[in-house]
Amino acid sequence: MGGALHQASLVGQCAENDVACSRRHPQAPIAIGTRFYPEVAASIDGSSTPNLVLESAAPDILAVEGGALVAKRPGASAVLITTDDASVVDFVHIWVAPVTQLTLMRRDGDRVEGAVGLTVGEDVTITPALWNGAQRLSGAGDVTWTVSHEGTVSILRDGSPDRRRLRARAPGKTTVTAALGEARASFDVEVVP
Amino acid sequence: MTRLAAALACLALAACNPVLVAQSAAPPGRSARLDEVRGFWGLQSYRMELSQGVALALTCYQGGPCERMAAASDNPGIAEVRRASLGTLERSGMYGQATASAMVVVGKSPGTTQIRVRTKDGHRDIAVTVVPPPAPAALPATRAAVR
Repeated sequence: MGGALHQASLVGQCAENDVACSRRHPQAPIAIGTRFYPEVAASIDGSSTPNLVLESAAPDILAVEGGALVAKRPGASAVLITTDDASVVDFVHIWVAPVTQLTLMRRDGDRVEGAVGLTVGEDVTITPALWNGAQRLSGAGDVTWTVSHEGTVSILRDGSPDRRRLRARAPGKTTVTAALGEARASFDVEVVP
Repeated sequence: MTRLAAALACLALAACNPVLVAQSAAPPGRSARLDEVRGFWGLQSYRMELSQGVALALTCYQGGPCERMAAASDNPGIAEVRRASLGTLERSGMYGQATASAMVVVGKSPGTTQIRVRTKDGHRDIAVTVVPPPAPAALPATRAAVR
């Protein structure tokens, strides 16, 4: 996302080839209740990137906490990219939107629909996607994961705040549900020997 | 003769107060504009309309990028003004160039205030009105994506 003065950019922090990461959606609004971890870079002729600091014009809409953008309520806020002596190098207007729908995706970006079959010991990585109508939102939230029948699958953290790895433990059927605020999504899992 | 006219124009220009130019666009659905207030003697001051939470970049020009520019807001709680580093060259005087002299104004809360721009050789006032953002449209109810 290029700045209004064409001197700096602000994109999500993502691993190479991570299609589910928010780098794919650097220009999307940030979902309320989530955090967006930006990576800031400047391109100024004759200068390497100076020490840069982010500052929000409307912290009640979008706060800057520990280098992350935290979406608080719907609206738009300029995020100033300043040097450490408060001189503005560039700025970006960022929008914040409520989540109206949550869907689940595999790590390759395919949407999870219907039942998922696994053999005992098999893993599948699931990523929640947040939407406002037809628009996908960016940001990582503290999504709550639950299973209807304990013991069939384990839900493991993999270092991401919202992404989970499901490991099939024992034959059976269960339903996995992910929720963020009032938005939720679920799917059936059948584990076979 | 041409050189004399140019020199006189330069002197006249130096005697003028600075000119301000907007350098960024408003985001969708928000306001960020700078307009001239003209009177009998030409440009008198500026007025700015800015939405809350929006930033607008300006450059200051006075025969070249303004020298020793200082800008202050009468009420930083309504509109805050910050010095900006714009890495571009602008024509300065007859043959020279200098780095642009820039500032960024940020709409903090609805209301009106004045921004006073002072330079080595002049000054300009900007009457700023910060307007509240439009109310968001009614949102659809949260839908569950269930199997």
